[in-house]
Amino acid sequence: MEVIESSIDPTSKDYKENFSHYEKLAKDLKEKIGVASQGGGAEAVKLHKSRNKLLARERIDALLDPDTPFMEFNTLAAYGMYDNKAPAAGIVTGIGIIHGREVMIVANDATVTGGTYYPITVKKHLRAQKIAMENNLPCFYLVDSGGAFLPMQDEVFPDREHFGRIFYNQAMMSSMKIPQIAVVMGSCTAGGAYVPAMSDETVIVKGTGTIFLGGPPLVKAATGEEVTAEELGGADVHCRESGVTDHYALDDHDAIRITRNIVENLNRPEKTHLDIKKPEEPTYDIKEIYGVLPKDSRKPFEVREIIARLIDGSRFHEFKALYGTTLVCGFARIMGYPVGILANNGVLFSESALKGTHFIEVCCQRKIPLVFLQNITGFMVGRKYEAGGIAKDGAKMVTAVTCAQVPKFTVIIGGSFGAGNYGMCGRAYGPRQLWMWPNARISVMGGQQAATVLLTVKRDQLWRKGIEMTKKEEKELTDPILKKYEIEGNPYYSTARIWDDGVIDPVDTRLVLGLGISASLNASIPEWKPGVFRM
Amino acid sequence: MEDGGVTVFINYEHETHVYPVTVERRDNRFFIMYDNNEYTVDATELKPGQLTIQLGDRVIKAVISGADDNKFVFIEGNVFRVKRIELTGRKKTEKKEGDLNSPISGTVVSIKAKEGKTVKKDDVILIIESMKMEYLIRAPYDGEVKKIYFKEKDQIEIGQLTAEIEKEE
Repeated sequence: MEVIESSIDPTSKDYKENFSHYEKLAKDLKEKIGVASQGGGAEAVKLHKSRNKLLARERIDALLDPDTPFMEFNTLAAYGMYDNKAPAAGIVTGIGIIHGREVMIVANDATVTGGTYYPITVKKHLRAQKIAMENNLPCFYLVDSGGAFLPMQDEVFPDREHFGRIFYNQAMMSSMKIPQIAVVMGSCTAGGAYVPAMSDETVIVKGTGTIFLGGPPLVKAATGEEVTAEELGGADVHCRESGVTDHYALDDHDAIRITRNIVENLNRPEKTHLDIKKPEEPTYDIKEIYGVLPKDSRKPFEVREIIARLIDGSRFHEFKALYGTTLVCGFARIMGYPVGILANNGVLFSESALKGTHFIEVCCQRKIPLVFLQNITGFMVGRKYEAGGIAKDGAKMVTAVTCAQVPKFTVIIGGSFGAGNYGMCGRAYGPRQLWMWPNARISVMGGQQAATVLLTVKRDQLWRKGIEMTKKEEKELTDPILKKYEIEGNPYYSTARIWDDGVIDPVDTRLVLGLGISASLNASIPEWKPGVFRM
Repeated sequence: MEDGGVTVFINYEHETHVYPVTVERRDNRFFIMYDNNEYTVDATELKPGQLTIQLGDRVIKAVISGADDNKFVFIEGNVFRVKRIELTGRKKTEKKEGDLNSPISGTVVSIKAKEGKTVKKDDVILIIESMKMEYLIRAPYDGEVKKIYFKEKDQIEIGQLTAEIEKEE
């Protein structure tokens, strides 16, 4: 395959300005992640350690094979929410490697409000389970949680995608032969008791691990019986009497040793075969992406310059290069894995959508994973394009994206607006993972467009009543809309609410995609079965 | 390999593949990194263009010909083309010559050039806004602006010619 030729000039003023801008964004991201990774703060950490317990991240480090990557999801969940009292939403989730195989880890962080579940905590836990289910990854729950966060019970307990779904998923995954393993390293109270109880195999730590439906205060209130937590649901009760747990650990380290032994006996099936080559660095430095991306998000850029910095050897076999040129499609390798890449290079027209549809079909036939590099302001609008049937051509692409059962990965490298988000495999289209760059923006339309639409509607309403709006009134209507779109379109607003799997530094994109594809091969790839394409 | 004491990046092309290789010279030996493996090589120049290379137990004779950045290396009956590249691994390419037609339907939001004035290649002539993006129409070459067909707030259709520039000879 041919190497993409770059025409970037790293000595130009624009390049240098862009570079320093994106360096700042990357630094800012690292700082935010650094703060969130601290958990509930120095005092809570001290208290936690005084109980002879390891921190959530220390437990994960000890559990995984040494010097292997841990791909963490949504470190910035709940960022800016709940008065900033729930860093990382009080739970650490991610894919790690134990005895050479990928597994999903879900670890409560008891330094954050006792590891209780805020609404976003539930969402993050469920998202991790969804990833495990889709990629056929054994689940390890390192439990240390007081259960639901009671003040917000209405947003945590009753609905379909709330707390109860955690246990539903455990039973479903177990039925799909995906191992469910719980390690009780702290409280498992009330509903939380079902995490170990619903698992295939369970470890409990003496002295700190407890499991009960009702804690000592509730027991006293209900029956008057006075009992300590350890007597009520400690390791001795559950390993010797109740049989709720299977393995008795002396401390956190012992529990981790036992858990690693469990993995040795999972007898996991072989991974799906792909034609894999030796990984190779891109010909161009990946960090140059900082200089390629324009500082001003309204300026278009050549997306092949980005692709060249993400793929092995910068070698790209482009598909239909001269047709529907606003969507770049082509084959490449990332970390040795074959991929089909779809990347926006302008607004989507009918031709671009048809080309994308064709390319997705080809990749699905060949069972090649898809990577979407999303920077899309939408499908082209206007009389000419509507008459040309852009709605049905867009629909073809959305159908193909939906029905593509090969592993799909989406990276939002710029804007993500309107139906463009759908065609380019937005969250609703089930990409195995969806990541955002720190410059990304996401909303149903641009703030300016939304303001104009709403202003026109309002003006027409008033006009019918014979009232005309003053410039001041117009401004009073549009300003809050612009502000709202600016705040809500921000990638940190998105990641806080788990509309994505995390914000990443562009230079980590190759690694993240490589790990994602590797994990996806734990599941088999079904045959291509599309729906009806409107012709 | 003439740059003693520094690291050099080389793209080595064989058939259709390009192999990026890093060569570092330390203590009169060459340390070659390829595909995460390091090879230690001794090389002696017999006379200009002729080398003996020792790689482990193997002694290889090589003849090199060709210009500075495009050398041909003959080893045991095979010919390899070797290109030296800059630190970032960049290939210099000439940008495609842009044209003055609008790439999209939209609104002209700003005119940056004046009729009768000269412009340099890549100077912005006008800016079109469409679908939340700004499209810059740049001068494809040095020349004099003869005519600008649009003014601010005008609607423009895809493919319409925005301006005429007389190429400077």
